[in-house]
Amino acid sequence: MKNSQLTFKIFFLIVLNDIGDTLAQLILKKGLIQTGISSVTFGNLAEFITANAASLLVWLGFLIYAVNFIIWMIILYRIDLSIAMPVGSTCYIFVPIVAVIFLHERVSPLRWLGILCIVLGIHFVSQSKSTTKGRA
Amino acid sequence: MVKILLLVLLAELVTVVGQILFKKAANQVEPYSLRGIAAQLRFMKDILTKPAIWLGLLAMILGLVIWLAALAQGDLSLVFSLGSMQYILILFLAHVFLGEKIDKMKFIGTFLVVLGIVLIAMT
Repeated sequence: MKNSQLTFKIFFLIVLNDIGDTLAQLILKKGLIQTGISSVTFGNLAEFITANAASLLVWLGFLIYAVNFIIWMIILYRIDLSIAMPVGSTCYIFVPIVAVIFLHERVSPLRWLGILCIVLGIHFVSQSKSTTKGRA
Repeated sequence: MVKILLLVLLAELVTVVGQILFKKAANQVEPYSLRGIAAQLRFMKDILTKPAIWLGLLAMILGLVIWLAALAQGDLSLVFSLGSMQYILILFLAHVFLGEKIDKMKFIGTFLVVLGIVLIAMT
């Protein structure tokens, strides 16, 4: 990343944003399951909202989303959207690796190939010049 | 199949428009250092007073609703791999609306990321 404007600091923020996004989704999913209303229709929409609004997990999920929004805006303040977006696909790399290490899941060869493509893709994009200047 | 394709495309287009509005708002904030809490609070105030950010949020919510509708209709891996097209949309629309340059590295890298996501979705 020597020639690019994608500094380690911005890369770290993008990864942090990705982790936050994944975490928020897991927590929201857990919260929705705990609340226990499995299907949503127009008829029970009000009940669905009030029941979930009482869930601490649902609030925690939204809180992480709010923090993530601030982090994303700081990222966009400093670097091109068309650089930040592809680099933000690091979650496709980290989630399988975490699943292998901690959950002892098997990852198929085709999936490893996909992960390799994403790693290479992020590397290439990180080498391109950002149009957003003077904000690091 | 065609219906799902159109739904996913629409969801992505709306989401990408939201991201472009976010970036527009970020570009409208004058450059200053973000060191320190005071500067960060000022940055949040500056960002949230730009109309583009609220339009962007509105687009994001709309995109999410369409996205959920697509998920409800189609099989997850199909929707997921079609979803990777948003990177291509961003590449071209950011060039048109934000003047972000498309160089060789960005072009190749973006397509590799898309290929990678499609491969993952296939397994």
